[in-house]
Amino acid sequence: MESKVLKPILAVYVGLFILFLYGPFIVLGILSFQQGPEGGPQFPILSWSTYWYQHLFGLTPPSRIAPLPVGEALIRSLVLAFMTMVTSTVLGVMAAQAFRKRFRGSGIVFYLIVLGMMVPGVLTGLGTSLLANNVLGIDRHWWSTAFLAHVVYTFPFAFLVMLAILNRFDGSVEEASWSLGVSPIRTFRKVTFPLIFPGVLSAMLFAFTLSFDEFPRTLFASGRDQTLPLAIYGTFSVEIHPNIFAFGVMTTLFSFALLSVYGILMALSVRRAKKMAMQEDIA
Amino acid sequence: MTQSEPIFRLEGVTHKYGDLTALDGIDFVAEDNSYIALLGPSGSGKTCLLRVIAGFEKPDTGRIWFQGRDITDLPAHERGIGFVFQNFALFPHLTIFENVAFGLRNGALKISAAEITDRVSSAIEMVGLSGMEDRSPDQISGGQKQRVALARSLVLQPKLVLLDEPLGALDANLRERMQTELRAIRERLDVTFLHVTGSETEALAMGDQVAVLDKGQIVQYGTPEAIYDSPALSDVALFLNRFNLFDGRLDGAIFEGPFGATPVSSVRANTSDVYAIRYDRTRIFDADVVDLPGPALPVRYLASEYLGSSIVFLFETEDRKTVEVDHHLSLGEPRDLTVGEKYTLSWDPAQAIVFGKETAR
Repeated sequence: MESKVLKPILAVYVGLFILFLYGPFIVLGILSFQQGPEGGPQFPILSWSTYWYQHLFGLTPPSRIAPLPVGEALIRSLVLAFMTMVTSTVLGVMAAQAFRKRFRGSGIVFYLIVLGMMVPGVLTGLGTSLLANNVLGIDRHWWSTAFLAHVVYTFPFAFLVMLAILNRFDGSVEEASWSLGVSPIRTFRKVTFPLIFPGVLSAMLFAFTLSFDEFPRTLFASGRDQTLPLAIYGTFSVEIHPNIFAFGVMTTLFSFALLSVYGILMALSVRRAKKMAMQEDIA
Repeated sequence: MTQSEPIFRLEGVTHKYGDLTALDGIDFVAEDNSYIALLGPSGSGKTCLLRVIAGFEKPDTGRIWFQGRDITDLPAHERGIGFVFQNFALFPHLTIFENVAFGLRNGALKISAAEITDRVSSAIEMVGLSGMEDRSPDQISGGQKQRVALARSLVLQPKLVLLDEPLGALDANLRERMQTELRAIRERLDVTFLHVTGSETEALAMGDQVAVLDKGQIVQYGTPEAIYDSPALSDVALFLNRFNLFDGRLDGAIFEGPFGATPVSSVRANTSDVYAIRYDRTRIFDADVVDLPGPALPVRYLASEYLGSSIVFLFETEDRKTVEVDHHLSLGEPRDLTVGEKYTLSWDPAQAIVFGKETAR
């Protein structure tokens, strides 16, 4: 039997895949419990402690290791990711909606949008900063130039997700709504949006996570005040202490929390989507 | 049925998809408060015509009038014309009650909650779905979905409801029951139904009037009886699926076909010369009988189909064309035929319909 050979090989392959996926995070997690303040990023663990977590929140007595300068950067990144998420998702839904009807030049517009996620990030960042400084003569900020760079980057993802969702969407429910005397705007709110909501959630998740840990574009475009990835990178260049790892664990837990919210909302709306699919099958 | 003002009127409506002409200058006047069946083969443009009337698509040229008003440039949601989709298009995220209430709740007029409850309940009762208000569309059967779709339109009391192959997604049993119900519901309300179908039996059974659409044009409009008894074109006869059609050559008052030369009394204008005789007016004789009522068509017997009230006999002519004879069992027992044997078919020439490309007389 073929499966007798194939199955163990595939199992090993999947095992290795998961190991490489989560290996770095496991190492990070272990090292974050290193003893402090004299312990560093090395094995073996001197002794287990939560020192670096306390250090992160400023609960340890002052030592030669400066607290991680991430507090403001974290807030900035969260706000930026949220702004980017809302803007890109709204634009993505609107653009995908526009593409449901073929319009003149739709092919070119499609590639122009998608190019935003394909051009090298460093170049986009550099270009954005040059445009702001030398051409327009405006200051760079995380909430202006970096925000624009993030939207240009994440909008195509949101757009593609929504395009895939709307491609499968049966427009006859919208026509049914119009024929019941309901205006197109209200139809979108009462019929279309509830039915494409799972896709909107996915687009939001994409936009948020991509923006939250965006590095190359932000590097040049953000100006003086740094976002979280830049702040973390900044601490590397001096000396690495396990407080970085403790912080990494915290942000990962935050991401998991975000994913759980996404999962719950998704499960709720997938039920609706199933009903939709069943109705389409009959047709 | 009261004949009165036209409910809607089409003037030279033309619609193209790229190079394809779906509707080719359609003129049409529909009486108020009637059941109109729009019959056409697939690709004849019948769904397109419905979508143009509903306002989902704009005609390239021509005007559409509804209740004496030009609605050509009016968007779909301001027309007040109901639409029932073949796939029902119920709102999957709403209950049956909310589906029916949707137009009342979200329309331009503000209607009180009590009135909405009243009207929705009576609409649901009318289509026989009381007790199912709280179910969701995936918890009901196809026939029930059809009723919800109908109730959802009728609750707004439209004067015109367009039905796009509303029975196409139902099984045969249910289809017949819904035919009767649709007619009964319509008669209770002062509303015109325009029912699009590809099935000639459905169209003839349901319509007070039947319009036959072919290649983007309405080729015939009249009562089912008129269309059945005297199709205006050979294409209509072909589509009715009740006629044996023979190609041949019309020369003055003589039609030359596979059954020899036959004198004809009247001719209808057509794009080609065609001789038509209804299945149930074609009769079977032994091959050597000479005392025939009309022309003699030599055939070979192939098979028969038992349809309950009648039997259909299938024959093949010398040039391999299949010919049908419909024998109604109330006319007596059918004769025994031997498969592969030769027989002669004949008919009363006065019952034939002849189409000719020469000017009709």
